[in-house]
Amino acid sequence: MTTTVNTKVSGKIKPRRKGLASLLSHHTFRRLTQLGVFLFIAFIAIRHMLVGEEGAVITASWEAYCPMGGLETLYKYITSGGKFVSHVHLSNVVLLVAALAVALIARNAFCGWLCPFGFIQDMISSFSALVQKRVPALRKAVKTLKKSGARLAVLDRYLRFLKYGVLAWAVLGAAAYGFMVFRDFDPWAALWNLLELSLAAGTIVLAIVLVASLFVERPWCRYACPLGAATGLVGKLSPFYLKREAAACTSCGICTKACPVGLPVHTATTIKHADCMSCLECVDECPRDGALMLKLGVPVFGK
Amino acid sequence: MKVNPFIYGALILVLFFGVIGGAKAAGVWSVSGKLTASGEKLAPTGANPDEIKGWMTLDDISTAYNVPVAEILAEFDLPADTPGATQVKALESDTFSTTALRTWLKARLGQ
Repeated sequence: MTTTVNTKVSGKIKPRRKGLASLLSHHTFRRLTQLGVFLFIAFIAIRHMLVGEEGAVITASWEAYCPMGGLETLYKYITSGGKFVSHVHLSNVVLLVAALAVALIARNAFCGWLCPFGFIQDMISSFSALVQKRVPALRKAVKTLKKSGARLAVLDRYLRFLKYGVLAWAVLGAAAYGFMVFRDFDPWAALWNLLELSLAAGTIVLAIVLVASLFVERPWCRYACPLGAATGLVGKLSPFYLKREAAACTSCGICTKACPVGLPVHTATTIKHADCMSCLECVDECPRDGALMLKLGVPVFGK
Repeated sequence: MKVNPFIYGALILVLFFGVIGGAKAAGVWSVSGKLTASGEKLAPTGANPDEIKGWMTLDDISTAYNVPVAEILAEFDLPADTPGATQVKALESDTFSTTALRTWLKARLGQ
């Protein structure tokens, strides 16, 4: 991410959308997409819990719809000529291919537009922001907490590398041991296993992620998600990127505040970071016309 | 080139669901080891014991391989009153496993 700070400003202020018109934004489109995927997975999980797969009717588990399973079984699938590690099916491999295809063409958009666990974190953060808006005492307390923890922000840069370690552990562990070593620690798995009153180490991870989402947006995605790490790396080859026009930008920082993964958008000229999940919240929130936009260029090098 | 965020969102959906739809259309899709690519319940064919899975029942195997349940139970010293609807994986012990059943059936079929 290259950095410049502008001196001239020429971007006009965007007209403020009111009423129903304010709903006609790509933010609404994205939220509806996320909600649709989440409701589909919830339906699959609840149906599987109620019907099961021992009777005449066999229902799929929610696990069959997780691209992460595809990533974990990839080594076995290739080396054994089409066999899977336990709990993984062909659908997982297809979903992985779909997620990687999205990453290759449209950057890390799977995380921003489709991932249901990302949606849950978004909803908790939105709820937290809403409550803080309504309860000034809570807002003050959170502000104080964030202020006292500000010195830990230096760790943020290094903690972001943790997800690549989790990715290596999950993929290499499954390849070495022949089962999904990450599964017991996976908060997404832990969430649906709660339906069957099943607890694992992942339940603690889930609780930490949900509580952390009250204070930090997308904590799991920023620091630990192995699938996001993989799609983020593949997404570096995408021709899409975000461009900040210094001449139209006032460096107000609204875009940076809007970024769910905390990227310093207002000081960059192009945003091609592996953590950028192309949610376009920064573009939506930017008050200046033409200051921040989504662009199509030559992959990797092009502008 | 500037891109409209709505077109970008539509592209994401077309790509993601297009790959899934394409795979389904090509029969490269299965959400359970108990279902075929077309969603039908998988059953042993009786041709190759390697197809036997732990979730299959003694009755499934008895019918497909034309071997009485009582013979399977006797071969592996399993209780004679074990119901035929019992899944193979539920009977696994030091003396019996899905792999052992496959090996025995292969020998029985002369494979």
